[in-house]
Amino acid sequence: MFKTAAQEQLLPGDTLQQKWEFAQAAGYDAIELRAKGDLHFASRLPELKQALADGVVMPTVCVEMLHFFGAFDPDLRRDAIAQMKSQLTVIAEIGGRGAQTPASYGMFSTRLPPFEAPRSAEEDREVLLAGLTELGEHAKREGVQLYLEPLNRYEDHMVNRLEQAADLLATVGLDSVKIGIDSYHMNIEEADPAASILKYADYIGHAQVSDSNRFQPGAGHLDWPAWLSALHAISYDGYLAAECRLTGDPVDAVRSIPGFLRGAGA
Amino acid sequence: MTALLGDTVVGPGAGPTTDPGGAGLRRGAARVLLGNWTGTATVPSRTLYPHQWSWDSAFIAIGLRHLSVRRAQRELETLLGAQWGDGRIPHIVFNPSVPLDAYFPSPDFWQSSRAGRAAGAPPAPETSGIVQPPVHALAAWLVHEADPAESARRGFLARVYPRLAAWHRYLTSRRDLGGHGLAATVHPWEPGMDNSPCWETPLARIEPAAPGSFRRADLDHGAAADRPTDLDYGRYVRLAVDYRESGYTDRAGTHAFAVEDPAVNALLIAGEHALARIALTLGADPAEHHERARTLTTALVDRLWDPASGMFLVRDLVGGELIPERSVSGLIPLIVPGLPAPITDSLVATLGSRHFRTDATALVPSYDLAGHAFDRSRYWRGPAWFNTAWLIERGLRQYGAAEQADRLRAAFLSAAGASGFAEYVDPYTGEGRGTRDFAWTAALALDLSRPPHSKESTR
Repeated sequence: MFKTAAQEQLLPGDTLQQKWEFAQAAGYDAIELRAKGDLHFASRLPELKQALADGVVMPTVCVEMLHFFGAFDPDLRRDAIAQMKSQLTVIAEIGGRGAQTPASYGMFSTRLPPFEAPRSAEEDREVLLAGLTELGEHAKREGVQLYLEPLNRYEDHMVNRLEQAADLLATVGLDSVKIGIDSYHMNIEEADPAASILKYADYIGHAQVSDSNRFQPGAGHLDWPAWLSALHAISYDGYLAAECRLTGDPVDAVRSIPGFLRGAGA
Repeated sequence: MTALLGDTVVGPGAGPTTDPGGAGLRRGAARVLLGNWTGTATVPSRTLYPHQWSWDSAFIAIGLRHLSVRRAQRELETLLGAQWGDGRIPHIVFNPSVPLDAYFPSPDFWQSSRAGRAAGAPPAPETSGIVQPPVHALAAWLVHEADPAESARRGFLARVYPRLAAWHRYLTSRRDLGGHGLAATVHPWEPGMDNSPCWETPLARIEPAAPGSFRRADLDHGAAADRPTDLDYGRYVRLAVDYRESGYTDRAGTHAFAVEDPAVNALLIAGEHALARIALTLGADPAEHHERARTLTTALVDRLWDPASGMFLVRDLVGGELIPERSVSGLIPLIVPGLPAPITDSLVATLGSRHFRTDATALVPSYDLAGHAFDRSRYWRGPAWFNTAWLIERGLRQYGAAEQADRLRAAFLSAAGASGFAEYVDPYTGEGRGTRDFAWTAALALDLSRPPHSKESTR
């Protein structure tokens, strides 16, 4: 049986402790944190430590910024790397597993005008390899992992499929860098999501879940039993972290996720 | 289809597992089924069998329902999408993106869209022209039962029922070549037990096709010692060519090879019982299926039961006689509900006799251990297959032989895991033979890995 987590903004409550109470009652095993820029996540350390002391389980954090380590702008890139390093350090400090980031988000899509990216694919690759190596080495020192999340073609132009992420990771060659898969993006990009999970099993470190329409699992048309069977087949031992929008009554929607996933074979 | 032969979509092989029936076995089985999925159906093997096979798909769907009900439904729907106008479900549906020389006989041999036009072969996809045993209605019912709500939501039964009924009508009308109600088989490939010694007498009448007129692709991946001989293969080719040249017409008295096979007809009867349940679920009248099951069961016993052998035998429709060979096919009628007790008692006794020795062997041998043609490694002349074991386990349980069923189930799960989901196994040792990561072995292992008491009541 997989452990499930909900991202903190999905849970009702003013404090992590209140959110945790709701999460546990709904059948979740953990909370996935979200990390804003400007070292905001580091500034939350006292809050996180208190939550940890109060028994809140927080294994992973997902970045919530508008620039990333694959940014075109070198200053933004440097800042993104500094932010991610800090997030890796903080998640290590509270005994977590790792931090998830895409290469970029909303920066460019080759499927939308003007179609031609301002940087070549070769330069993209150099930038990504340099960033992943620097962050991977930092994660290794901290004893945690960096999860690279492939996004769909409309949200990122560099890493859309597990195959591309695995290719980068094979070159980086660090166990501290893994793929953070997301069911929603895989549904758009992978010819057969379950087969891709099997094929890139060795690289998968984390999994985020939302349905075909980005809503909570169960609100769309993904073949969840097939997707979850593939994770079972590779003996995946991480969390299924809900990162989604909500349709219907939001509290009911969040509450429905663990039960739905269990029913689908999680 | 999204995956080609030899494509690297497949993950690493499932490899042997050591905990029969446990999580490791289920993980391995899932890996095989996910790896052999092509987007619309499942290939039996990524190497040896790169297309969709009819009864393979039915057995695969029975396991796939535990993995993804949607895929299990799709598996059957894809197969039924290639059904011919006369109702036949072809034994192979060819994947057009696989090279012609990857499997023989290939689409250009069968020429279904041209040669089968009068019989209602579809213009696409290309298929073979012969059929395989009718496991499909049973499979459809089991797939439905795995998730009735999803089945209803997708209109699964309503969509497949008319096609399955047409398939059974084809078998009970056009294929009633003997005139006694049973479905006849017109090629040794049709019962799915290609190289069985049961076909020796009827095959001996056939003039083989010239050795240079075809190229066997099965030897590219399988060991020649395990596969049919070239002489037999020449006869298979001759029969298929003659059938093709007749426009795949089924007419009594025109087939050089025609037999009534116990397993084919037992599965047809089990399928009629399944169709009755499907009809009832859809609000249709099941009476026609109950009646057909009853008359078929009577004909099966009248025509193929041999008290002296303690089992069912194949009847040669050309010579008219029962063929005195004990094949696993003659034990499969255990899946037929409502057989007289003396018959089922005899079948259970025969399973334990020196001919099959299921108390001592790994699974049920495909052929008489004491028979003149027994060969522990050659196709259907001794090795044990997992699909026949699954059917017999189901039959034993149906007739209250729980102890024998439990033993067979345990042997099945152990051999499936230890062999890396082999195509078939040595009947004595359970050692794997043929190709590995074989889809129906994985599918049926997944099905049997669930505790017997939780299985659906479909008897």
